[in-house]
Amino acid sequence: MRGGPVRRGRRRGLLATVVGTVLLAVMLFPVYWMVNASLQPTGTTLRAGWFPSHPDFSGYATALRDQGPNLVTSLVVALGSVAFSLGLAAPASYALARFSLRGTSLVLFGVLITQMVPGIVVANALYSAYNDLGLLNSRLGLVLADSTAGVPFAVIILHSFMRGIPREIIEAARMDGAGRLRTFRAVVLPLSRNALITAALFTFLFTWSDFLFGLTLTTTEAVRPLTLGLYEYLGAHTTQWNAVMATAVLAAVPAAVLLVVAQRFLTADATSGALR
Amino acid sequence: MTGPSAAPRTRLRELLAPWLFVVPAAVYLLLFFGYPIVKNLGMSFQQYTTATFYTGAAPFVGLRNYAEILSSGLFSRALLTTVLFTAGSVAGQFVLGLALALFFRRSFPLGGLLRSLLLLPWLLPLVVSATTWKWMLDADDGVVNNALRALHLVPSGIPWLTGTSQALVSVTLVNIWVGIPFNTAILYSGLRNIPAQLYEAAELDGAGPVASFRHITWPLLRPAVSVVLVLGVVYTLKVLDIILVVTGGGPADATQTLATRSYELSFQRFEFGRGAAMGNVLIVLSLVLALVFLRADRRAAHA
Amino acid sequence: MNSSARPSARRITTLLGTVALALAATGCGGGTGAASAPDKVTSLTALDYYTDATEHAQWSKRLTDCGRTAGVKVEHTSVPAPSLLPKVLRQASSRTLPDLLMLDNPDLQQIASTGALTPLDRYRIDTTGFAEGILSAGTYRGKVYGLAPTVNTIALFYNKDMLAEAGVAVPRTWGELKSAAARLTRQGRYGIAVSANATPESTWQLLPFLWSNGGDEKHLDTPQAAQALRLWTDLVKSGSMSKSALNWTQADLHDQFAAGKTALMVNGPWRIPALNKDRDLHWGVAPLPVRQKGQRLVTPLGGEVWTVPQNSSPSRQEKAAQVLACLNGPTTMLASAKEHFTVPSRTAVAARYAEQVPSMSGFVTSVERARSRTVELGVKWPGTATAISTAIQSALTGEQTPQEALRRAQRTATGS
Repeated sequence: MRGGPVRRGRRRGLLATVVGTVLLAVMLFPVYWMVNASLQPTGTTLRAGWFPSHPDFSGYATALRDQGPNLVTSLVVALGSVAFSLGLAAPASYALARFSLRGTSLVLFGVLITQMVPGIVVANALYSAYNDLGLLNSRLGLVLADSTAGVPFAVIILHSFMRGIPREIIEAARMDGAGRLRTFRAVVLPLSRNALITAALFTFLFTWSDFLFGLTLTTTEAVRPLTLGLYEYLGAHTTQWNAVMATAVLAAVPAAVLLVVAQRFLTADATSGALR
Repeated sequence: MTGPSAAPRTRLRELLAPWLFVVPAAVYLLLFFGYPIVKNLGMSFQQYTTATFYTGAAPFVGLRNYAEILSSGLFSRALLTTVLFTAGSVAGQFVLGLALALFFRRSFPLGGLLRSLLLLPWLLPLVVSATTWKWMLDADDGVVNNALRALHLVPSGIPWLTGTSQALVSVTLVNIWVGIPFNTAILYSGLRNIPAQLYEAAELDGAGPVASFRHITWPLLRPAVSVVLVLGVVYTLKVLDIILVVTGGGPADATQTLATRSYELSFQRFEFGRGAAMGNVLIVLSLVLALVFLRADRRAAHA
Repeated sequence: MNSSARPSARRITTLLGTVALALAATGCGGGTGAASAPDKVTSLTALDYYTDATEHAQWSKRLTDCGRTAGVKVEHTSVPAPSLLPKVLRQASSRTLPDLLMLDNPDLQQIASTGALTPLDRYRIDTTGFAEGILSAGTYRGKVYGLAPTVNTIALFYNKDMLAEAGVAVPRTWGELKSAAARLTRQGRYGIAVSANATPESTWQLLPFLWSNGGDEKHLDTPQAAQALRLWTDLVKSGSMSKSALNWTQADLHDQFAAGKTALMVNGPWRIPALNKDRDLHWGVAPLPVRQKGQRLVTPLGGEVWTVPQNSSPSRQEKAAQVLACLNGPTTMLASAKEHFTVPSRTAVAARYAEQVPSMSGFVTSVERARSRTVELGVKWPGTATAISTAIQSALTGEQTPQEALRRAQRTATGS
């Protein structure tokens, strides 16, 4: 039985691939259905069969023509929100996890409470504030508003992870004469890469899918995220479903690429973690 | 080598420096949440109408808004719907998310790619995915019923969105689908942080997969589990767009939750005071559930 | 406090000070409008809910053209229909309303009651010659606040091929409607489709049946109202109408009709441009049936009114009023009616329109008698509208009989 275990292992691996693909297919069926609908000619969405027998790309042509600038806005705002959220949340989480500050649990519970507030309540209040501060119709304004989901979420994720960093490692760095900031930068952040990527990923996704803030905090078409651009096809009186679906599919592509890249980092980190 | 006068200064800096890590985030959260919460609280004690938006005048009515919404017959029904929707969604998302996370923990060809694609549902605007579900669940010629009929499982099809008892199940299913990526990703990242040596040791001791799940995976995954469950409850309680698109709270209020009710009061009936009161009731419910959960969690962790 | 603590402490105080300042800034939202330059107004802002790309472009052009006659540029923004009112209210509270605001006509009184709109007599706009229904929808406490260039209402759309194949004539009464719908129902196709969803859209669709039968929104617990709702439940019970109506918007009805999944639908003329694009679809439109021959058909009046919100600059308002007057002028009105297949709101223009576009003459007659939803209840209408749509849902799901459902609707509508 030379090479037996290896072959068995490989066969098992392939079986897992098959099962994984089937699971994914079930999970992503609605996404397939969207793609299917996006390939139907205008007005025939409801006659769609299981496959687009005569794929019609006019929905994509329309979406590409109209939504380009909105796609850029969405990307810039989402990435900005990731940077802002992690920039605030990472140091705060570290302090809350490792500095034994008084009132830590109160702060954490406060953070949790922020997650309970319905988005529309925040959006309504922000509008008048933004108006006075001149932040309406600006990417900065959207970044700040969208981070209301990202910052608390990142604090919760990072805090729960950083509590797991062994104290000895941090103390060792401090013994070597590193200040708080340097310890944080040189020791804590690299150790938390996994959690940082998870938090970044979700912050990105929160912002990417935001509709409410985009709608509330813009009053012109100058700065408009994709989720709002979609409404060019969802009129009060008419609906172009193929263009709606095509926009959704196109919107998913850059984000999906980002996901795959981010996941690759996660895997790399996990291997190095196993060696630790 | 600190001089006598520098000592208190250093100590004070030592005392304050840690807070500087927290202050930016704290200030941001206070700014962006403090004001909205306070404003919403104020609104709920006022007779806040459309005119108030322009004139700013809103008579103080004390607890009347709360009394009215809590005594309404619709409230208890919406509360029950909210609880069922939340419990069903969180349980479904968690169990399926954990199963998927456990499955994708093993390394196999294309595993990484498949895992990242699993997050795809989240990349789609909710209005689009909810509309797609609405089509798929159509009673007459939705793809779900067509498949059930073709397989001769349910010859007449299921009134997914039009039956008063089925509609709640349907929106819960859609919400589970939307929430799976979130649960899988967090639980997966939690699983990744469990050292592989523990499993190897357990295997050497002759522990089977069930035993190693019970004694290694579950206890070490606890922090991640707490995070997804608490956030799952908090996020699900305020779900609005999915329900509004898929059923609009219908049929006959069967999927009307506290969140959709608050929206309806404010933006369809223009009773903003009551809408705000309903929103605050929702926040309190969320708070109570989170406290209960955190307590139980702490007790379990100490046990 | 120890003097050496100052630097850090001061930093923190400064930070907290910023918080307080920002909070104060958010707290005093409004009060001051944009600094007004009384001299030269070069551009205006306009807000509506025409998000659809084609429709948006048509309105942009119209606003630009009318702006040119008034010597201003018009910046036109559209937001999704369900978010228009929330947006308007936010803008009202921070005094950032646009110079020209479009509102769905049943919402006008609601917004006018806040004081955020200006009465149009201030600008000497000619409001004579408008159909009575739309003028009453635009009026609050005796003053006209909004004018709609064109109006619409709903009617019965039918698939000519399907009617011919089934040998069915266009139904004129409820009895005919029931039998026609039954005979038009086939495997994979229903006889008729209405929108009975959980929003005021279903109320709007039921109103022509309810009103024409002598029902009244002030007294929902009448036999006349129950008969109207029973017509819908009967259609579902007999299998001529899909229960999915509970979940359909009027846009969904269009999709069903265009896909050949229903032979009849209740819908508005704004669908016509899209219906015309489909060459394989042969459709016609007729007035909605009444219960008995001889009953007068009363339909709800649809259409969007344009208003001039309050702001701190009288010269801007003056310019906005000029644009509004142009939008409602006979020529613009006729052109936009032709573009959107709606009906000009000035009776004289409507008559000319009926001659030029004979296919719309049915709508022209219905609109003349159309009734505004807010004429009786005014600002109380939204509560009643929600109560009626809940009653529709309860009756169609079989939770309650039509009588019970409407009795409860009456209680909720008056109780609150």
